[in-house]
Amino acid sequence: MSEEKITMPVSGDEQAVASEARRSFLRKSVAVAGGAVMAGTVAGRAAAEPLAIPPTNKMLGRGVVSVPYGMPSKFEAHVVRRNVEWLTPDTIASISFTPLQDLEGIITPAGLHFERYHGGAVDIDPATHRLVVHGLVDKPMIFTVDDLKRMPQTSGVWFMECPANGAMEWRGVQMDSLQFTHGMISCSEWVGVSLLDLMKAVGVKKDATWFYGEGADGSGLQRSIPLPGAKDQFGKPIPDADKIYKDIIIAYAQNGEALRPENGYPIRIVVPGTEANLSVKHLRRIKFTNKPLVTYQETRHYTDGMPDGRFRQYTLINETNSVVTFPCPDKKLSGKGAYEIRGLAWSGRGKVKAVDVSVDGGKTWKEAKLVDPVLSKCLTRFIFPWEWDGKETLVMSRAMDETGYVQPTLRQLREVRGTNSIYHKNSIQTWKITANGEVKNVQIENL
Amino acid sequence: MFKSKTSKSALVAALFAASSVAFAGQFDGVGKSIDPKDVASWDISVHFDGDGLPAGKGSVADGEKIYQAQCAMCHGEFGEGARGYPKMLGDKLEDLKKHAKADEDTVSARGINNLWGHAPTLYDYIHRAMPFFAPQSLSVDQAYATTCYVLYLAEVITDDKMVCDAEALKKIKMPAVDNYYTDPRPDVKNTRCMNNCTKDAPVVKGKAVIGDISVGNVKKVGEGSH
Repeated sequence: MSEEKITMPVSGDEQAVASEARRSFLRKSVAVAGGAVMAGTVAGRAAAEPLAIPPTNKMLGRGVVSVPYGMPSKFEAHVVRRNVEWLTPDTIASISFTPLQDLEGIITPAGLHFERYHGGAVDIDPATHRLVVHGLVDKPMIFTVDDLKRMPQTSGVWFMECPANGAMEWRGVQMDSLQFTHGMISCSEWVGVSLLDLMKAVGVKKDATWFYGEGADGSGLQRSIPLPGAKDQFGKPIPDADKIYKDIIIAYAQNGEALRPENGYPIRIVVPGTEANLSVKHLRRIKFTNKPLVTYQETRHYTDGMPDGRFRQYTLINETNSVVTFPCPDKKLSGKGAYEIRGLAWSGRGKVKAVDVSVDGGKTWKEAKLVDPVLSKCLTRFIFPWEWDGKETLVMSRAMDETGYVQPTLRQLREVRGTNSIYHKNSIQTWKITANGEVKNVQIENL
Repeated sequence: MFKSKTSKSALVAALFAASSVAFAGQFDGVGKSIDPKDVASWDISVHFDGDGLPAGKGSVADGEKIYQAQCAMCHGEFGEGARGYPKMLGDKLEDLKKHAKADEDTVSARGINNLWGHAPTLYDYIHRAMPFFAPQSLSVDQAYATTCYVLYLAEVITDDKMVCDAEALKKIKMPAVDNYYTDPRPDVKNTRCMNNCTKDAPVVKGKAVIGDISVGNVKKVGEGSH
């Protein structure tokens, strides 16, 4: 991993200095340690050389505020959101993917948070933006962004995941990239106002069983969100309606700063654990009601096609899921020896309880170590020490959440849901490691 | 699951118990009250049952003119879809079900006639978000007319003299109205097997290629769905 980054070509005036520095660093890093991943594979057999003084020791660097808003190192220019051109007819109603293969820890830098627009990202002046809260309330109200910031503050670290994450893989293998198989997920610390406080402010009436949020963007995106007692248009109760609403916040900040325009600036709804379409961006209006809208986003989109030709509706929770982020098709192995298999797990129903890893195609599984912090409805890191013998093998992870739900295999999902669901594919992901260390996306038909 | 009585009291209890302790009246001065009539210009949402439909009307004939000028370049002159944008007329619902039961792709078969449960929400969507390049540019009457023509293209209504208004849209029974049911998950049960979990050697399918179609009849999922 580290070797690939160090030798990556860069452009610019400092190219010569930088590449000499890198060559020099490479020689030394190989000799000294080589980083955790390389430790067992290279350190012992590399020849030591006299250390050259790095050019950066012999020069002055940039002064403070030469970059008033800091950016990643230029050597990290490959770490970007990417889209798949054929997936949507334009980039306005489209999606981009988070580069999970290049991220560590559980927080997604805001600038790398996946994007999903139905009418493009808009720039909204917070000074003129308003939130109206009305419907089944005692006192319809209008709030400025400053009003919301003055109200009691609450926060949480929660994942945000499009329910179409993995959608291209229902019928067969398509995307040879972790970024494209699983990159419709990100995780942030979100800060804002509790929905419960907002409900108290307006005096929500007892017969309110739903509310919907509406965006100030070109799609005017609106989505119904259940409250306790919520029923669908046929009178059937909505599962987990007594749980989902308790965590909801109206967020104005993400990872320490204001929301990014791509993530709903200046305010958005965050509905932890659920499909991200509920977390309406650029929020301008909340209306409390006693029935759902059953609108575009609740029929034409975000309903799951089943093998009998019917469609599931209000499949709101994103169930337990996990994926190995190293190795992956985007990060190959550089020879046999010791590695740490690393990955991410998450559940929309609470905390991840355990993650098991298999390196033999699912015959045997061993429990991985969960890395703190382990938070509810939040990305959770796992690591698994592994000695690769250099032979072709199959690597996969399987998460279990605190409800005891075990992440299913793709075969199990297909048996119930067929291949036209589009949404909520949370099955076990298999990576095939080839003898030369390449990593391929595969599916095991009989697991 | 819920009896409405208990759930309502649960909601009230949660409002007092789970919300911020600090919020006990002192923030009453934050935000302003607003008269519901001042919200009317923003409150354009229409529920599935037609609640929220405004006064106004538009005909199939008027809608055809708007559609051909502002919609056909993306949705096709005859509603067949174009350039990757959704078709208006999908397979008949019975045919979509047949494809689904045969495990054939149904994503590209989807259209207004087999996927929209309610005509009033079609009006809502056209009025708020269409045409794609100029959202909220159609008047109420134009949105009614366009809705009317699109329903005609989708063969939901057959009378080319039809005039659509709130009452007319409420009366239309969409073919897919009963084709939905609420989330039954968790629906799949895996077990946490640790040893001897498989009997047979894994049957591996692969050859993924970024941005390409690599396996048999894989369809591009975005096609006709966005």
